[in-house]
Amino acid sequence: MENFKYLKPATLEDALSSKSEYGSKANFLLGGTDLFIAMDKGVIVPDVVIDLKGIKALSYLEEKDGFIYIGAAVTWTELIDSELIKKSIPSLWEAADLVASVGVRNSATLIGNVCNAVPSLEAGAPLYIRDAVVFLESKSGKREVSIKDFFTGVKRTVIKEDEMMTGLKIPVVQDFGEVYIKMGRYEGEDLSQAGVSVFVDKNNNYRISLAAVAITPVRASKAENFLKGKKLNPELAEEAAELALEAIAPISDIRSSKEYRIRMCKIMVKRGLTACVSRMETGSPALSTRLI
Amino acid sequence: MFAQSTFQWDYYECDTEIRRYQMNHMLKFNLNGEQVEVAVKSNEKLLDVLRDKLGVVSPKFGCGVAECGACTVLINDLSVRSCITFAVEVEGKNVVTLEGLQADGPTKIQKAFVKHNAFQCGFCAPGFIMSATELIAKNPSPDEEEVRHALAGNLCRCTGYQNIVDAMNEVAEDNRRGVK
Amino acid sequence: MKETLKVVGHNAVRLDILEKVTATAEYTDDIAFGPNLLHMAVLGSPYAHAEIVSIDTSEAKKLPGVKAVLTGKDYPEKFGLYLEDKSIFPVDRVRQVGEQVAGVVATTYEIARNAVKLIKVEYKELPLILDPYDSVAEGAVLIHPDLGNYKIEPWLNAQPGTNVAHLRQIRKGDIEKGFLEADEIVEGEYYIPHVAHTCIETHISVSKFSLDGRLTMWNSTQSPHTQRNIMANALGMAHKDIRVIAPPIGGGFGGKAGISMEVMAAAGAKSCPGHPVKLRWSREEEFSNSSQRTGLRNKVKIGFKKNGKIVAFKHEMFWDVGASAEYGSNVVNATGFSATGPYYIPNVYIDSKACYTNNPTCSAYRGFGYSEFSFGVESTMDRAAKILGIDAVELRKINAIKEGEGVAYDVPMNPNGLIECIDKVAAEIEWGKEEKSDDPNKIIAKGFASVWKAPAMPANESSSAFIKFSEDGSINILVSGMDLGQGFLTAMAKIAAEVLGLTLDKVRVELPDTDRNPYEWQTVASHVTWSCGNAVKRAAIDARNKIFDTVQRAHFIDASQLYLEDNGVKCTTQDSFYIPFSDFVITGIQTEHNTWIGGPILGSGMFMPEYTNAMVDPNTGLGGHPMVHYTVGAGAVKVEIDKETGRMKVLKMAEAFDLGKAINPDLAKDQINGGFVQGLGTALWEECIFNEKGKMLNDGFTDYKIPTILDVPRDMNPILVEVPQPDGPYGARGHSEHTMIPVMPAIANAVANGLGVRITDVPVTSEKVAMRMNDPKYKEDMRK
Repeated sequence: MENFKYLKPATLEDALSSKSEYGSKANFLLGGTDLFIAMDKGVIVPDVVIDLKGIKALSYLEEKDGFIYIGAAVTWTELIDSELIKKSIPSLWEAADLVASVGVRNSATLIGNVCNAVPSLEAGAPLYIRDAVVFLESKSGKREVSIKDFFTGVKRTVIKEDEMMTGLKIPVVQDFGEVYIKMGRYEGEDLSQAGVSVFVDKNNNYRISLAAVAITPVRASKAENFLKGKKLNPELAEEAAELALEAIAPISDIRSSKEYRIRMCKIMVKRGLTACVSRMETGSPALSTRLI
Repeated sequence: MFAQSTFQWDYYECDTEIRRYQMNHMLKFNLNGEQVEVAVKSNEKLLDVLRDKLGVVSPKFGCGVAECGACTVLINDLSVRSCITFAVEVEGKNVVTLEGLQADGPTKIQKAFVKHNAFQCGFCAPGFIMSATELIAKNPSPDEEEVRHALAGNLCRCTGYQNIVDAMNEVAEDNRRGVK
Repeated sequence: MKETLKVVGHNAVRLDILEKVTATAEYTDDIAFGPNLLHMAVLGSPYAHAEIVSIDTSEAKKLPGVKAVLTGKDYPEKFGLYLEDKSIFPVDRVRQVGEQVAGVVATTYEIARNAVKLIKVEYKELPLILDPYDSVAEGAVLIHPDLGNYKIEPWLNAQPGTNVAHLRQIRKGDIEKGFLEADEIVEGEYYIPHVAHTCIETHISVSKFSLDGRLTMWNSTQSPHTQRNIMANALGMAHKDIRVIAPPIGGGFGGKAGISMEVMAAAGAKSCPGHPVKLRWSREEEFSNSSQRTGLRNKVKIGFKKNGKIVAFKHEMFWDVGASAEYGSNVVNATGFSATGPYYIPNVYIDSKACYTNNPTCSAYRGFGYSEFSFGVESTMDRAAKILGIDAVELRKINAIKEGEGVAYDVPMNPNGLIECIDKVAAEIEWGKEEKSDDPNKIIAKGFASVWKAPAMPANESSSAFIKFSEDGSINILVSGMDLGQGFLTAMAKIAAEVLGLTLDKVRVELPDTDRNPYEWQTVASHVTWSCGNAVKRAAIDARNKIFDTVQRAHFIDASQLYLEDNGVKCTTQDSFYIPFSDFVITGIQTEHNTWIGGPILGSGMFMPEYTNAMVDPNTGLGGHPMVHYTVGAGAVKVEIDKETGRMKVLKMAEAFDLGKAINPDLAKDQINGGFVQGLGTALWEECIFNEKGKMLNDGFTDYKIPTILDVPRDMNPILVEVPQPDGPYGARGHSEHTMIPVMPAIANAVANGLGVRITDVPVTSEKVAMRMNDPKYKEDMRK
């Protein structure tokens, strides 16, 4: 790969300053599991790489004021090891355990996954289900963006040339059940061909999100509205799953055909609904077992 | 201003593109318990620096994109894919390879692998041993599914994994019973 | 008198496990070649079929650090193992995407890669052929118009003027009459795509051409002597001036048999004399420009009597051998002889065609065509069982070929334990016992297959071995068979130790070096335990004879009363007599006159079968004895299938193979486990996917999925059956490839048994199962 200038700032200000100076010629580096490979293939050719791993201010993982805050430097392994995440955001915990392999999870970060913005991003469905809000900072200021407004296309986001995603927050909820189901070709590591997250609370508010089956992750609002306030039974689950298909527009590629993705999404939503209701009722924790 | 006070910067322009400057870092890190210093460019991979500059050849090249696990090393006790790590990223860190793990003789895990004839061609062995070492350090008595989960990122084409699992089950059982 | 074996047949820690677990094994890329090592990179063609109009290397040559740029102009030589249709660098046209068009040697790999980008090639695209049916269609473009002029082995039948590089035909009995006699005829058409070996170590060669005229190569290879031979012929050099060293290898599976990219490294070395030149394939190049497993489109038609006996068998195989048939032609040949499966059949009609396509070149891959054709045969057998109303396992037993019965080309079948294999597998998998899943969404189904394979070799393949003693009574065995991981070194050590009465800790087996180790044809075909084992046994017997001779002459004890045990010589008539080897195997035995009898003990041995004849009648396949023997076996799986998603989880496997005599029982079982899992990959997930331009779309582990530790059954049951091979060392014959063969059909049969859906194209993916399970077109015919 092309050589580059490697910077390792000690503070967030320094990092944002450099990014401001170099703009699109600089890329941020955390785990590097996406950036490195893109650079090795010559797809991305930065002049400058700004390594953020020295910035302590980016490694927070805590509950505060009714939100869970996750900093940019938090790795998938740290999420898996966190009892807080397992208890409070089970779908994100389950997704974390399904990312690649241990050796990748030790370096790769949640925020890196979000910024890479591929339609099949593992974090997509869980973050959509839980109304995550991302923090974008630049030398000139900060802003918060709802995850639903963050992705604009395949590998396209609202991040500006001088901005960094420093972290995100997820509202804490009570009395709920939540599940993440991933469609892969086998038990071993695989990029998601469809990712489904389902959520229910004790007031029968349902949330269903799907990723890898449209240009960005989506919420199946028609299905959610259909179920709202109703106690789940197999017929309702079936009908809701059918309605959820209206939210997606999957493609056929070498991993899966469009038709099989559609079929699987319906099954995943149906089984996800039953599972999250069961988890809410029994208070059972997140599990990294597969429902499909 | 920047944290990398140990880095030296050399610029020259070869052809008119600004980006083509050679950055020579004097990388300092701890390798298998010893402090080492080696000159590297920003774009050099940790795997290549270990193998070609430092003569540490246990991590292998299998795919170059972190999908086979053959290049696994431990950085500050965590398993990392050295094929997608820039050498400069390990400045000041502790890097451990198989050569370091076995400095005082084969480890308990290695002995179990020998006893169970766990490998055939052996090319994936160092990667497996690094991942297995990380697992046992974190969880001394994993059950079989936990073993499989931890080793799922290491590909083996020869063995079907059965003997690797048998060896790890024995290590886990020994740890459970307090056998040294 | 049956001797009790002390070493052979007993389990032991493998000789090379410690070096592998401690990473002291130096694979080719681990060797330090010094600061004057140069690196090579290769430019691959973007087109699957095109004329090379011009190549402009001027810019590449100017890049600082570049030492040489090579094209077909510099190295136009043709080469090939069985058929010389491959070029070191092509001169006139490329025939697959990724085919090497030029090479660059430079001081660093980065510079070599950058220089490759500066080479400008002008191509003129030609029509493509990506399917073997298109290859044989009327008016198809000729991929090798010069086929008639290629140098070719005399036992191959090329069809010049077509795309068929080799045609093997069997005509035994009367096929028309046979079908007329049949009560039921079952037909099927099947498709097997290319798959890749995916050794974890990619292909690598370091070649050095020194100014004394020697070419030295360190290659990751299964075939050092064959490589030396091909290099000598291709480069016009004397054999003694080429030295091929085979360091420990990171997997072979046939992919490192014969020769492929190593010739490019040799060419690079020749252009930069005095420097070692390293060419190491990236993972992408490993997928697209090493070699792949042959693809197959085949039609199976079997005629049965009501009682299940097969009376007529017709099999048409259109093999996709890719851009070159230099190795694939033998896959076509071997399967042409054997594509009945392990059954006795009186009337056989087989057509096996090697069809050139513009897909990547195919060569040896574990199973050598048998996995591919067995899918169709065993699927058809299972379908027939349902149609005939006979149990699927019972149908195999009814037709199982017995010792002495004629195979497809009428040569008598060797002693074999096929019935025992079938019975043991059926018992282990609890065949006939219906099982239910705890999960209401899932069912449990079982599938079965019985298989065979013979080594596919030239009639005069051979092995040889040297044994030399050292002062302490230990031995070094020098052979050119290669340990690919299968435990070959340990097997040879045990055979020698058994004959020589040595304990295993006294034995080393040296990896191949063509300067020092004697000839071995190749480590392929699951034949080295048998062939090289025989050579080692003979070498050990030779050494033993010399030991007896020395002791006889020194101590006046007749050799017939001497035997070897506990690392020394003992006597049947004198209990206290014992001379340790360390006393005399170098120095000889001192007599009472202070003279010395004997001297260094050396043993040499050679094995070559003298009953094989590959020159059969080209029209009927009869009249020869092309295969040495068959190893038989069976396999079964228990699969849990999700009725909605089609996802399958193999809960349990059982496989049994008759290997004659297990020299290393544990390692032999490991071959079953490993082969099963490699077979599982091809059965469920693996497939080389190409676009319409012949470019491989999944040339990486991201989308070419091989089984991980999570994907394998938790309940693995390898079973060894031992019906001795009369001409094998201690009765041994090979079985390592075979362990892959039952898996594809066993899986497809399980799915058909469980869901009534018949998948005739592998891999049997969840998607296919889900999307076809309610489609009447794929419904399993359950006529009775």
